[in-house]
Amino acid sequence: MKLKDRVAIITGATSGIGEATARLFAEEGAKVVVSGRDEARGRKVVETIAAAGGTAVFVRADVRRAADCERLVAETLETFGGRLDVLFNNAGVFHPHNAIDCTEEEWDATLDSSLKGAWLMSKYALPTMIAQRRGVIIHQASGWGIQGGDQAVAYCAAKGGVVVMTKAMAIDHGPQGIRVNCLCPGDVETPMLPADAAARGQAYADYMKGAANRPLGRVGTTIELARATLFLASDDSSFMTGAALVVDGGGIAD
Amino acid sequence: MKGLSGKRVLVTGGASGIGAAIVARFLEEGSRVAVIDRDAAANRALAQKHPSLTGVLDADVSEAAAVAGAFAKLDGLFGGLDVAINNAGISIRHDFIDITPEEWRRVMGVDLDGVFYVAQQAARRMLAGGGGVILNMGSTSGMNGYPRYADYDAAKAGVIELTRTMALELAPTIRVIAVCPGYVWTPMQEVEYTPEMKAAVDAKIPLRRHAHPEEIAALYAFLASDEAPYITGHPVIIDGGEIAGGLASR
Repeated sequence: MKLKDRVAIITGATSGIGEATARLFAEEGAKVVVSGRDEARGRKVVETIAAAGGTAVFVRADVRRAADCERLVAETLETFGGRLDVLFNNAGVFHPHNAIDCTEEEWDATLDSSLKGAWLMSKYALPTMIAQRRGVIIHQASGWGIQGGDQAVAYCAAKGGVVVMTKAMAIDHGPQGIRVNCLCPGDVETPMLPADAAARGQAYADYMKGAANRPLGRVGTTIELARATLFLASDDSSFMTGAALVVDGGGIAD
Repeated sequence: MKGLSGKRVLVTGGASGIGAAIVARFLEEGSRVAVIDRDAAANRALAQKHPSLTGVLDADVSEAAAVAGAFAKLDGLFGGLDVAINNAGISIRHDFIDITPEEWRRVMGVDLDGVFYVAQQAARRMLAGGGGVILNMGSTSGMNGYPRYADYDAAKAGVIELTRTMALELAPTIRVIAVCPGYVWTPMQEVEYTPEMKAAVDAKIPLRRHAHPEEIAALYAFLASDEAPYITGHPVIIDGGEIAGGLASR
């Protein structure tokens, strides 16, 4: 088991990549704090993990709020003996809009969940990790944090920010024994895809055809992203920090 | 790592340094491993150390005919290929102004031509076999400038772009990825660095140390395995945070 007895917080863990990662981390022996805004879905993820013999609790939090992030870390430490080994800042939202159409609310929701939330969670998690002289932070970025995408101005701004924030945090906290990396997925089969297709007014089948138009000829699966996250969380990546691991079927290679 | 057991794996430059660590890791994973290296004495020592190696072939990857000859022998041993790891490489520490045409050709020959020769031979077999993974040794030197390694930097930048284009052309049958290490403590480093130089380098790396060859080998194992089936066409940096910052942070 690659994460035996390690304590991990996963935000946005009530569905999609976060849920798949929570289940995989638990299979690998981690004690998992499943966090998100939707309590009913979160409890269901925890039940699934428990039924499979794993250890998990749900803590409701909205990462856009500092008080929620602080409480999420505090409850994790209370529940699991004061340790915190892995933080996966996965929470994020997507609104398809260009610079003209994007509303202030959409801009703030996008930047606050993906970028500010990842910073806030790190702010409250780092002191414990530094005291342990050991810890891993993984931010959810995107291929669109490296290349631009269409109708995604706020999302690209947020994810580009996450990629460079990852490097800045790696520089600051590497000497304290903390590794900070980010994951850059392409399109992944999550509830985000049908929502995006609907928002763009496209039939889902047509939308998926476009999403699969990449070298490997298909969209990614949540377990594929979960396995990449596990690699970054585990000792197998002990010399990696400040890196952006692109998991996108070759989408941004051309 | 999932799916490495029984895989037919070729490692170039596998007799020493990072290559030897890669060989050991894939043997631990249960893979069948063959090595191409130009150092015949080191090859014999490697074969003694790892009796489970499928084959150890003496060849210089910078010579196309030698690579073709080695692959002909490899066909007899493996009858195909699942994973090719282009690890063989050399560097020469010299000022740009002093690089001779012979030195330039030698570095390009091993570090870039060699990757092309081996990757092409490997890809032909993988296309015929219906799948495979080609992993090329890039370097942070292929992404940033490093004084006194102009030829090496240029060759490694070439490897990264070769990787991207190979990935586009060979998908979806073959995944192609470049691994870009920063400083790794190997025999190549030991001969070039004084303890003071090593300490000065370590101080510039956020993790405050060089990589162990085994840490680079672990990334190769992950990328070759069934745990990374959706990764292709990108350089993966493993450098302790070294190039996360620009000059201002050093």
